Amino acid sequence: MKKAILKVLALCMCAAMLLCSLVACGDKKNDKIVIGLTGPLTGGASIYGIAVRNSAQMAVDEINEAGGLNGIEFKLDMRDDEHKAENVANLYTGLVEDGMQVSLGTVTTKPGLEFKNLSKDDNVFFLTPSATGDAIPEYDNGYQMCFADSNQGTAAAEFFNENYVGKKIGIFFKADDEYSKGINDNFKAALDDSFDVTEANFTGDASTFDSQIATLKDCEIVFMPIYYTPASQFMTQAKSVDNSITTYYGCDGFDGIDAIEGFDITSIPQEISMLSHFNSTATEGPAAEFIKKYNDKYDEAKEPLNQFGAAAYDCVYAIYEALKVAVENGKEVTAETSASEMCDILTEVFNSDSFEFRGITGKCEGNEKSHISWSEDGTVVKEAIKYIVKEKNA
Amino acid sequence: MEFLTTFVNGLSLGGIYAMIALGYTMVYGIAKMLNFAHGDIIMVGGYTILLFLAVNPIVAIVASMIFCMLLGIVIEKVAYKPLRGASPLAVLITAIGVSYLLQSISQMIFGSAPKFIVIAELGILKIGGLSIGYSTIITLACSLVVMIALSLFVKFSKTGRAMVAVSEDKGAAQLMGINVNNIIMITFAIGSALAALASVFFLLKAPTMSPTFGSLPGIKAFTAAVIGGIGSIPGAMLGGILLGVIECFAQSVPVISPYTDAIEFSILIILLLVKPSGLLGKKRREKV
Repeated sequence: MKKAILKVLALCMCAAMLLCSLVACGDKKNDKIVIGLTGPLTGGASIYGIAVRNSAQMAVDEINEAGGLNGIEFKLDMRDDEHKAENVANLYTGLVEDGMQVSLGTVTTKPGLEFKNLSKDDNVFFLTPSATGDAIPEYDNGYQMCFADSNQGTAAAEFFNENYVGKKIGIFFKADDEYSKGINDNFKAALDDSFDVTEANFTGDASTFDSQIATLKDCEIVFMPIYYTPASQFMTQAKSVDNSITTYYGCDGFDGIDAIEGFDITSIPQEISMLSHFNSTATEGPAAEFIKKYNDKYDEAKEPLNQFGAAAYDCVYAIYEALKVAVENGKEVTAETSASEMCDILTEVFNSDSFEFRGITGKCEGNEKSHISWSEDGTVVKEAIKYIVKEKNA
Repeated sequence: MEFLTTFVNGLSLGGIYAMIALGYTMVYGIAKMLNFAHGDIIMVGGYTILLFLAVNPIVAIVASMIFCMLLGIVIEKVAYKPLRGASPLAVLITAIGVSYLLQSISQMIFGSAPKFIVIAELGILKIGGLSIGYSTIITLACSLVVMIALSLFVKFSKTGRAMVAVSEDKGAAQLMGINVNNIIMITFAIGSALAALASVFFLLKAPTMSPTFGSLPGIKAFTAAVIGGIGSIPGAMLGGILLGVIECFAQSVPVISPYTDAIEFSILIILLLVKPSGLLGKKRREKV
């Protein structure tokens, strides 16, 4: 008797499972081109994800209002990965099931490394606004709108070669951090041999930098390819050492240094600058227009704009422009084009020498939008700008 | 000149380590337990300063020391006292638990991002070609005063001698009329107050505090205590200063700098192989 009941139960469960899987198979018919991505919408890094969501949504709305891609509208589908790599697999599956055809990848690098592997197997095109990791565009389907870690170092060195000739250069980097080490290696490789360079570094969560400051105190420009927390600590501690430093120069890790609670940036006597691809204090030109539009729509205090958002805005437009080019070249793009077909179409456009996107990130001359293109390996080619976070005190 | 600057920086960092190491070593000597939550008391001290900083820096420092003292006593009474007589492993795990508890509570209250806590902006002292921050000099001077005061306290005061007695033989001390529970409580109070003081000097050096700040200085100070010979007060001082100086010199050489922590802990391992009881530790003959 017991056995019979068990058998019936088992059968029921099998039937239920079959039914479930059938439901999951139910192919959703798209009536819009779906752009999917994941990013931190909650947790410590949510400031980045929220700016990306808002900006990308703004771009999508603008494109749709202007008639979409020959009448086909776009739809943004963003999921919260909490800046955790382990969340990405589930979110990715969800995105694919809900009809994602093209992607902005992830907002941050750690989840992005997971995303690039998943999307490679399905051949899903992604153009990430802000995952800077060198390995992100490793496969043919991955592209970046931001500078990759290593080309930040090269771009910074080119800036130094041009603007800081004859100065004594110091480098302060984190020796156990791939991001910091990668930028530093590329920076040194691209820097002119004529520079007099002194190096100092730290590891782990160290927060007292007496020795490093003593090493670098005679330098004029200190290059800091690190995140803003240790950088702000270095700057604060350097105040109590007699030094000849005039400028601190950082990379995208400096983004947010002017908003650290309790850190009085005006008390730092030196100039604080960073290599960036977006001028968030622009008062004129395309960047300023974008900033105004964003602040009209979203609460500046609660959901502030940053370069992540600007890059996401450019990403959506870049995909739109690329699809437009493809259509002009006779390719058929509809709301039902599969992700894999879409990927082939887009990579062809992105890899072609003639494709150039005009955006708001990168260097905009006056009212002209910037020139942005991509190299074969998926990294972006555009001119970096020096963004002065804080001027030198008089 | 650079050598001298690094040396002075090392001495002052060592002074802070010594102050924390004293807490470890006194608690070990008297309660025979490793209080791994000791490092987190530094962090609590730092945040307490933040809360009272608006009033007055001196008030904030005193408030922080008093609060940490009370916290040390409460932790001892609630978490460690019920385990007296339990296996050392149980006490050790409890201490680690307390450490995580303190970190998590701070994270809930203050968030995980580092907070800037500027107690005072001190200038730079220049003598000839030498330039040293006043914060470094104050740290060095204060840690020397604290160490001397503590040595005198232990040697000459009634309570101090009772502490020595308890550390040498708990049972005999009790028979002589010493209230062992009180002595242990006082030890925790002094150790925690020193940790709070250490946080003041850390903040003068680097004005940021995060919930996990305490763990690294905690481990370093513990290493210092073991190098000096755990249970020995002069040993903790010597170990702390030695470690601070080594750290600063290692960091001043860019090639070696990434391996600073590795060097410090390797010294511990080598020393334990050569002299298991530490530099100034007492040799104990085990009776079989």
